[in-house]
Amino acid sequence: MRGTKRWGLAVALALVVAIAVAAVGVTTASGAQSAGTIKLAYVADFTGQMAPFDNPALTAAKLEIKNVNAKGGVLGKKLVLLQCDTQNSKPDVSKSCVDNLVGQGAVIGLVTCDVDAATAAIQEFLNKNLLTVSPCIGTDQMGPKRFGAKGKLAFSFGNVAQDEGAAMAEYAYNVKHWKTAITVTDNVIVYFKNIVQAFTSRFKQLGGKIVDAESFTAGDKTISSVVSRVNSHKAAVIVTSDGFADWPTEFAGIRSLGNNTPIMNSWAGDGTYWYPKGTKVSNYWYVTYASVFGDDPSPQVKALIAQMKAIHQPPATGAFVQGSAAIDGIVAAIKSAKGSTTGSTLAAIMVKFHNLPTISGKVSFSPSLHSVFGRAYRVMEVQNSKPKFVQLYTTKKLGTL
Amino acid sequence: MNHVQALIDAIGEGAVFALIAVGIGLVFGVLRLINFAYGQLIMVAAYALAFPGNWPDAASIGLAVLAAVVASLVMERIAFRPLRTADPSTMLVATFAIAYLLQNGALLQYTYRQQGGLGDSIGTLSGLNQAVTIGSLHIRWVTFLAIGAGLVSLGGLALILTRTSIGLQMRAASMDFRTARLLGVKADTVIMAAVAISGVLAAVAAVVLSISSTSVNPTTGFQETIFVLVGVVAGGIDRLVSATLGAFAIGFAIELVGTELPNSGATPFTSNVYMPSVIYLAVIVVLLLRPAGLFARRGQRTVERV
Repeated sequence: MRGTKRWGLAVALALVVAIAVAAVGVTTASGAQSAGTIKLAYVADFTGQMAPFDNPALTAAKLEIKNVNAKGGVLGKKLVLLQCDTQNSKPDVSKSCVDNLVGQGAVIGLVTCDVDAATAAIQEFLNKNLLTVSPCIGTDQMGPKRFGAKGKLAFSFGNVAQDEGAAMAEYAYNVKHWKTAITVTDNVIVYFKNIVQAFTSRFKQLGGKIVDAESFTAGDKTISSVVSRVNSHKAAVIVTSDGFADWPTEFAGIRSLGNNTPIMNSWAGDGTYWYPKGTKVSNYWYVTYASVFGDDPSPQVKALIAQMKAIHQPPATGAFVQGSAAIDGIVAAIKSAKGSTTGSTLAAIMVKFHNLPTISGKVSFSPSLHSVFGRAYRVMEVQNSKPKFVQLYTTKKLGTL
Repeated sequence: MNHVQALIDAIGEGAVFALIAVGIGLVFGVLRLINFAYGQLIMVAAYALAFPGNWPDAASIGLAVLAAVVASLVMERIAFRPLRTADPSTMLVATFAIAYLLQNGALLQYTYRQQGGLGDSIGTLSGLNQAVTIGSLHIRWVTFLAIGAGLVSLGGLALILTRTSIGLQMRAASMDFRTARLLGVKADTVIMAAVAISGVLAAVAAVVLSISSTSVNPTTGFQETIFVLVGVVAGGIDRLVSATLGAFAIGFAIELVGTELPNSGATPFTSNVYMPSVIYLAVIVVLLLRPAGLFARRGQRTVERV
């Protein structure tokens, strides 16, 4: 009996240690702080649902930091990246990560690629008055709209949904001549909702007709009825913005009913990791930041992909370029601020960015939009599970929410 | 949409939930344990389905069964057995802890694989995701499989419980564990047998779920288990049949309500966004009117709801 108790205690202790290790997995890319460094805190989801987007952005950010440092750093100071995994965007872990890394001397925060997932970390950074940047949040909520006055310090190098949804609508209507659409909204995050809202407004403005608008919330177990309802309507295209667990179910479900209507997705549907094994992915279009399939039109993007492949971390989605672009933006702001890393100073410079050249295209912000608009998208087409770059497309007019 | 199609989809969802309920009901019957970690047994089995890549379907299903049985036995040995005499609430919390531990374990493996946690694709029996079309109706083969698997599991379990020695011991244990032990029933053997069978049932559920979901991720099985547990309690947790019917009812209701409610609206009953509110309100009403469960026998005493 005593042996059993000891054994039980040992197992319990092992569990406690395992959970503690899992709770805050902090790693540093460099040693202790010194006067000649500027430390950046990258707090994002490197293992959960956002990992296909965050990991490549992190890798690209590291490579760009290496390039910056090789050229002498920022006004003589080396950039140092500290990172911490929020483990599927857990709020408590996110806050611990921020406190830990800021405690190690980080002065600028970088967060995950979705505003809902990143909120806990963003608030923690903003409460410390630090400039907070996301490589690829795709809504207008990364800024004052969601975070009030403190949100003036929050920016994203992702495209704002009003721009991306409108690009999808214009491409569908003007280029593919799809005049009718069914929309499917996953309510689980605001980015997914905003994309479909922006698509709908711009598509209708162009003269298109939404014949059916479906919605669900990832995990609510209604995806099969959504598929059935979609299948009961006829339209030229089915439009969605989704990339989470119900997305492969939705795609495979629609195709399993013999429905081969073109399906169009946002950047959320980039990558091949979600392709269902038993279903060919065909008649599928999406817009993204870069093609990771070797046919991107930008030589710089191709070179970055080659660098990432060389270190055995090839990007899964096109968002990786945003990691590099975010570092370029931060460096430009610090240089303009003559080396200051004060949040309010950097934010006042960043909000005035107009066509700042980055690897992902020209970046502009405005007082109301702290996410990017007016940048060219890569339109991708997938047939027989083979993705290919089709063309660049720049939105002519923003959609509304 | 055709209301008949909605009913077909609802039956399919209900059948999957009923299948999960059989395993949960069996463990509750023997151990008096509401196992929140049951969903993670389904997740383990689903990862086993995804693991072999291009193995034949029968081989990957065999691996899934093996993985789920081993995981359930390990769970019983390291967590449930040491707590067998503990307060029911302690056991309940322990199952929560195991569920989250396994979820996080599944999440962390993506770190080492340097891959996103959106999940792994599963192609086992993927042909059963295709539909039979009758007029404007579409019935997926997996719906037939779910109904068949649910009935066979329930029937098979009934046979084991009524026609085998171990089944007899399980029934005796579920009636009065202490007296059964005094009469020579070996507690460990009975419990291990029940837990192993529940592992097999979890693997079957994983196969059925993965055909339509086409992938597995760390939260696979968790949400289903929460819904099923609610259904099991609402149906009547003290009997396997009433528990299974309760789970079927909640799966059926979720799908039907989700289909029939419109897509927009600001309050419950006006939008499928509020579907969980509608379902849980219905469950509260059921429990107020029939505390022992919707499908419990008349006059049956209320089970202690931990």
